[in-house]
Amino acid sequence: MATASETTLVTTHNESGTKWWTRFLDPSERTLGVLLLMPAALLLTLIIVYPVCRLIWTSFQNLSLTSGVPATFAGLENYSLMLEDPVFWETTWNTVLITLITVPGALLVGLALALMANLPFNVKWPVRLSLLIPWALPLSFAGLIFAWFFHSEYGVVNDVLRRIGIEGVIWFNSANWAFAAICLTIIWKTSSFMALIILAGLQTIPRSLYEAADVDGAGRLRQFFEITLPLLKPAIVVALIFRTITALQTFDIPFTMTRGGPGTSTATLAMYIHQNTVDFLDLGYGSALAVVMFALSMGVTAVYLRMIRAKG
Amino acid sequence: MSSVSFRKLEKNYGALRIVKGIDLEIADREFVVLVGPSGCGKSTTLRMLAGLESISGGEIRIGERVVNKLPPRERDIAMVFQDYALYPHKTVYENMAFSLKVRGIPSAEIKPRITQAAEMLGITQLLERKPSQLSGGQRQRVAMGRAIVRRPQVFLFDEPLSNLDAKLRGQVRTEIKRLHQAIGTTIIYVTHDQVEAMTLADRIVILKGGEIEQVGTPDEVYNSPASVFVGGFIGSPAMNFAKGTIRNGQVMFEDGAGIPLPSRSAGKTGDHDGREVVVGIRPEHFVPAGEGHALSGRVQVVEPLGSDTLIHFALGSSTLTARVAPEMRPSPGENLSIGVDPSRIHLFDAATERAIA
Ligand SMILES: Nc1ncnc2c1ncn2[C@@H]1O[C@H](COP(=O)(O)OP(=O)(O)OP(=O)(O)O)[C@@H](O)[C@H]1O
Ligand SMILES: [Mg+2]
Repeated sequence: MATASETTLVTTHNESGTKWWTRFLDPSERTLGVLLLMPAALLLTLIIVYPVCRLIWTSFQNLSLTSGVPATFAGLENYSLMLEDPVFWETTWNTVLITLITVPGALLVGLALALMANLPFNVKWPVRLSLLIPWALPLSFAGLIFAWFFHSEYGVVNDVLRRIGIEGVIWFNSANWAFAAICLTIIWKTSSFMALIILAGLQTIPRSLYEAADVDGAGRLRQFFEITLPLLKPAIVVALIFRTITALQTFDIPFTMTRGGPGTSTATLAMYIHQNTVDFLDLGYGSALAVVMFALSMGVTAVYLRMIRAKG
Repeated sequence: MSSVSFRKLEKNYGALRIVKGIDLEIADREFVVLVGPSGCGKSTTLRMLAGLESISGGEIRIGERVVNKLPPRERDIAMVFQDYALYPHKTVYENMAFSLKVRGIPSAEIKPRITQAAEMLGITQLLERKPSQLSGGQRQRVAMGRAIVRRPQVFLFDEPLSNLDAKLRGQVRTEIKRLHQAIGTTIIYVTHDQVEAMTLADRIVILKGGEIEQVGTPDEVYNSPASVFVGGFIGSPAMNFAKGTIRNGQVMFEDGAGIPLPSRSAGKTGDHDGREVVVGIRPEHFVPAGEGHALSGRVQVVEPLGSDTLIHFALGSSTLTARVAPEMRPSPGENLSIGVDPSRIHLFDAATERAIA
């Protein structure tokens, strides 16, 4: 982008008969703008554009550090391998499932939390603080805490179940229960972030709209569906974008809770990428997997952006 | 349509007393304007009537019903808010239809009602727009339309014109008056602008510090203000005030000049002798020097307005303003001789600031 507009600048200046370097002596507003954007653009190129290009390039190579063989061009080999790799399909499916369960889950819980935090409490800070704590907690902490919560013998969950007369399960021995425990943990951890964004949105809705609706005769439920929810849409879409993208990259919580087990039943795509690149040092295949995840994220973002634009 | 009555109405925020016992009877079809300086409790009173604010003491009736404990939707009132409070995501039509839909009125009946109200307000061509696509004046009209379609017992307006520019304000003011003449519903209107109060009201209620200072028709509050506050609040330019003492049937100013007492209080001169008073004279009640009782002062500032001229002049330690014919153009520093019609001066007790009957 930056380079494109710069090229245009050069041509216009040449057309008007000025030497290129005079731009620096007599910076017009546009030139100055480009110059001021330069450092940021350069930095972005360095830390985002370059690594992404490098990643895509590596994904077309045979590059395994354990083989001792120098990198060779492999074409689409990594990708065709992927199509036949059952672990790839399983981890991708797990990732999509986690996204489909935890994003709407966190949205609903977050919405409820935000509505509660927006109630006219006399003292607001304890409510807001308790919203912030799960958000501020590192992901792997949350994973460790909940791994203990769901521990079959010493865990809080089974203890509570036992007290009310239900025999608990050995959560992490069963693929389904382990998956459920992971999803619950992710929802707990991420709904406060949703709540914070939605709370900010709630506070931009003028009080007088609710007063007008009171006078117009609408009850609380009607006000929620006819005023609150439609006016929260922009905030909700933003929250969904952020949440969905981080959900597609889910790593820390299943990694600390189950290491992907039993078997690979709770492993995510991000964990599989980690395993291939860090444990197996197969950079070519790992990169190809990462490209798939990148494409998934971009696709989701594009859909949401279209949603926003349709609204505007 | 309905009458409204306030009995010893009070509002407190903790120890803070905001509305201090208002008694007021508003007749069916009456247009009553609550006016007063900022913070005097106008909005609070209106919001208690609407049910948006709880009542700390006393009683509000709409018609025969005591509404103290009723939620807004059961009071059958409609309100036009200062910021209009239009639903930003709904079209003008949907904004107007909302209250009808909520009340379960069939859409076959909603449509003609909205069409009729829209025609009355000249917003027919705006029905499909969103509030963000409207000008301030148009939004104001939509807010009124939303209130009209309800056909409530009482309309409440809280400073509905304060977000409009001066010209539009005059225009919409006339429209509100016409609207009231057309539909006749009881209206309670809050403003801090005495011109709006004078032009719109059947009766004006002047509030000060949470209490009623005076209630009366525009003529009554203009011609017989009950206190220095009302005298100064109603009328523009504001009433002049000067200190004086009553002696031998005259009001003597500090500088020794005197005016005979107005004939209406002349009979009781004896009671008043020696009493310290505040004299109120409206700028428009000065007359040419030959007529009335002459006063003289030194001209300070002259403001020609085209239709007339304002002369600010010193009388003793006070500065007075006179509104005179446009031909009269004295120069600053000149000695001015100007007449006062003794029957049009107002006398207030210096201590209580209440009018002396
Ligand atoms: N929630 C509240 N807590 C404490 N005091 C309040 C509260 N709401 C209003 N007040 C006070 O009540 C007084 C009356 O307020 P109100 O809004 O009725 O004034 P107003 O006459 O409408 O003035 P304006 O012309 O500025 O709108 C003000 O002094 C205000 O500070
Ligand atoms: Mg107010």
